[in-house]
Parts: sequence; structure tokens; C-alpha cells
Amino acid sequence: MTLRPFNLRLVIIVAVACGAIVVFFPFFWMAVTSLKTAPEIQRVPLQIAPDNWLNFANYVEVFKRESFFRYLLNSALVASVAAISSVVVSSLAGFGFAKYRFPGRDFFFLAIVGILMVPFQSVVVPLYVWMNEFGLLDTYAGIVAPDLVSVFGVFLMRQSIEMIPNDYIDAARIDGASELKIFFAVILPAVKPAIATLLIIKFMWSWNEFFWPMVVTSSPQMKVVTLGLMSFTNMYYIEYNLLTAAAVLSILPILVIFVVLQRWVVQAVVMSGLKG
Amino acid sequence: MRQWHRILFPKNYLDRRKRAGFLFVLPALVFFGSVFLLPLAQSVLYSFYRIQPGGAREFVGLGRYEKVLTDSTFWSAVGNTVQLLLLSVPVTVVFALAVALGLNRISNLKWRNVWASMYFLPFATSLVAAALIWQWIYEPVYGFLNYALSFVGIPPQKWLQSLAQVLPSIAAVSVWVRIGFDTMIFLAALQAIPQEYYEAADIDGANAWQRLRYITLPMLNAQIIMVVILELIFNFKAFDQVYATTQGGPAGASQTIIMLLYDTAFKFFRFGDASVMAVFVFVALMVVTLVQWRLFRKPIEY
Repeated sequence: MTLRPFNLRLVIIVAVACGAIVVFFPFFWMAVTSLKTAPEIQRVPLQIAPDNWLNFANYVEVFKRESFFRYLLNSALVASVAAISSVVVSSLAGFGFAKYRFPGRDFFFLAIVGILMVPFQSVVVPLYVWMNEFGLLDTYAGIVAPDLVSVFGVFLMRQSIEMIPNDYIDAARIDGASELKIFFAVILPAVKPAIATLLIIKFMWSWNEFFWPMVVTSSPQMKVVTLGLMSFTNMYYIEYNLLTAAAVLSILPILVIFVVLQRWVVQAVVMSGLKG
Repeated sequence: MRQWHRILFPKNYLDRRKRAGFLFVLPALVFFGSVFLLPLAQSVLYSFYRIQPGGAREFVGLGRYEKVLTDSTFWSAVGNTVQLLLLSVPVTVVFALAVALGLNRISNLKWRNVWASMYFLPFATSLVAAALIWQWIYEPVYGFLNYALSFVGIPPQKWLQSLAQVLPSIAAVSVWVRIGFDTMIFLAALQAIPQEYYEAADIDGANAWQRLRYITLPMLNAQIIMVVILELIFNFKAFDQVYATTQGGPAGASQTIIMLLYDTAFKFFRFGDASVMAVFVFVALMVVTLVQWRLFRKPIEY
């Protein structure tokens, strides 16, 4: 009986660790495959380790075959614009919702949160038609347009700004600050963590976007990285050594951001979860 | 109306403040209105019209709904989507809950963070990349999965290329991608449960199962419901992972609603039919969400 709690703990640790390794394995497998040559990945029986751990030929080939660097840049551009614009619009709206009273405020807020229930695919056809009319098909503006604001952002900023004591705002008012000045001098500095969180998570979501960029772009040089990845697939024959190299390139920037700034990402998810 | 007039043309300080608040919110309202509400209304509108190639519109009433909703392709896509839901949502939620409970028991913070990060990583990956990595693992001849299974004597399977296995295989990708997100939510909620509850349970002589059943799970009720709803929505909209791997094949066995919607709209350019599907998806999701909300969102009392 005295031994049992210790054993249970050990069993839990082993189970958690095994699960983690299984979940992590596809990343490992992707990285390893990207270092193999085409004959190597078709070896039977299968061999785990590549012959040469420093064989980066597949990466060179990825950049040679497709304008993959351009795709990475496109994604970075679109995701940055989406993230920054989301922060600006969301923090303004969050401030309005959290600290002001005006008719219809709660209704507007509920309507915005309700949008979470509208699947993007339900609005994609009219959006496409509009983009066509405005001449925004196959442009950066067209790719980024539906991504400029996030419901989650409005929600997050409202929650964070609500926690700022009203006294700070009133003190600024007594000093004669305008409402906009209060926003920049009092509100924004107080919610820096939330801003960082939103920047990261929105960048990540936007970088991983696939459906809309595919609908709205048509020329190769407008592809974002998720679309670029698809250029290495084909119904009949896929060169997995190249595909995995491209996948590593597409995942790596976001993975680095994620690992370095994990604390913020977790906070964002938790914010969305606990208050949901 | 008079209230609005006063706010838009304020004469005193308080009304000016109200206007300021409204102006702060305005950009978001304009954006969401034009990117979600107007197009949604237009989707509904499109679904009642036939649009000629020249742009002329003809009102067809419910004719389009009749056409789409009696089409067997549509219902088989709905069936596939529901199967995908049933295969992945319970597994994701139960697995994530188990992982969160396990992680919560690891007292060494450094190691807990290391293991936790590994579960979280897929969440940062695009669905396209995730699906393609898995497609390589599923590869019937050179893939890792069949290789690993050969050690326990299971003959090579065709996975994504098999009529019977394609949906479970895609569901596994969804589980892999979503597990981290759900775990994060559960883990945070677990850490918010006051320790006193467990101490009290210990005094009452509760065993591990009773503690889980009568303290932990009830305290996580809200998060579990929310995660289930989010997972339902996520899997209902399954597209990227299907498009990247099977494109709905083999023989339509993995055709989901959104795949069908995409093909209808952007392959065959039948916007009207696609709009009917869009309305269907929206209504279905709303009904599912609201029903879940009403059924399970009860305040817990002790």
C-alpha cells in the first residue's frame, strides 16, 4: 500500500512521456525524410536515419523548383499586416466595449462574438464575388482582406482592458487628456501582454491560412506558403523528400515563434477557453 | 433614434463621451458587418436565385434547396462529415483530458513544460502541412505506419487510399492537430481548481476515481462543453486536411460538406448551389451549438 502512490505517479509520467513522443514523432519523421535522397526513402526495409545527416540538397531543390522564398515572404507580409491590423482594430473596439456606455453596446458585442459561429465557408462565395468586382482577386489586399480583424482579438482586448482601473482613466481626463490620448497614453501601455499575445496568435493563424488564399489567388507569384506546399503534391506521384523539406521550411518560422513565445500563446488559448 | 442623434451630434460632455466610445467600436463593426454579416445575408439571397452567366438573376424560390437537398452526393458528404465528427471529437476530447490530467500530476515544472510543449507543437502547424506529413506516414509501400505495424504482424494497409480507412485516417490527423489546444485549456482549468477541495476529499477518504468523478470533472464542466463545441465546429468545417490529401477520394469516400461546397463554387462555378450549402452549414452549426449550450450549460451547485 505504501508503494502504490509512487507507482501510480511513475505510470503517469511514463504514459505522458510516451504520448508526447508519439505526438512529436511526425515532426521528427518529417525532418529526417527531408534529409534523405529519393532512393533512400524508397528503401525496403525502411531505414530511419538518413545516410548523411547534413544532406540539404532537398532544401536547395525546393528553392530551385518553386519560388519558395517568395511564398515565405508573401506569407510573412500577409500575416504581419493581418496581425498588426487586428491589434489596432481590436484594441480600439476593446476599449470602446470595456470602458464606455452607449446605446446598443452589449448587442454589438454579442453580435461580434456570435460571428464565431459563422463558418467562413458560409460567406466565401459573396466575398469572392465582391473581390472580383473591386478588382482585388489575386492581390495582397484581396488575400488579407477577410483577415484584418479577429473576433478573438476583440474579445481578448475587451477582457484585458476591463481590468484597468477606471481611476487611471479618470485621472487622465482630469488632466485634460482627450479620449484618443487616453487610449494611447493609458490603455495601450497597460495591455502590452495582451497585445503581444494577439500579435503572435493572429500571425500564426494567418500564416497557416489555406482556404481563402487558394480561392482568391491564381498566379504563382501570389501564392502563400501553404499553397506553395501544395505545389509539391500531385495525385499520382509525390516526391516526399522534397515535400517534407518544403514542409519544414513552411513550419519552421512559426514553430520557432511558438517555442520561444509559448507562454503568450498558451495564455491566449487559455483566455479564449476560460471565459468561453 | 433621438438618442442616436444626440450621440452623433453631441451638445454636452457625457454625450461626447458616448460618441467617443461608439467611434472606438465603429471600425470593428464596419469590418465585421462587411466581411461576415453582409456576405452571410447575400449567401441567403443567392440561394433563392438563379444567376445567369451574364449576371441576370431569376428568382427560383426554394427550387434550389429542393435540388441540393435531394441530391445524394450532398447527403453522402453530410454523412461523411458526421462520421468524421464522431470519429475525431470524442477521441480528441478524452485524450486531451487524459493528457492534461497526467501533465497536472507531474510536479517537476521543467519537465512538465517540456512534455506539454510536445503536445502543443502540432497546434502551431498548418493543417496542410500536418495532413501532408501524415500522408507520408500513411504511404502504403514506403510509409512509416505500415513499417511499424509489420513488427506486430499486421499486414500493410492502404489507409488514405482505402474506402473504409480513409475517414479514420483523416480523423487521426485532426486529433493530432487539435490535441494541444484542448490540453492547454484543460490544463489551465485544472490548475484553477482550489486544492482545498481535494484535501477535503482526502479527509472524507475519497479514492482517486471518486476525486476525478466528483471534483475534477464537475469543475471542468464548462471547459469540456466549450471544447466539445469548438471541436464540433472545427471538424464540421474540415477542408484543408482533406483537400491536401485525398481531395474527397477514393470514390468520394472522404468528401466533406465543405469540400463539396468548394468544388461546387470554384470548380463548377455553381454559386447558387454552393450558397444553399453555405446556408445549410451555417444553420446546422448554429443549431448544434445552441442545442449543446442549452442542454449542458447548467450552473453547477454543490
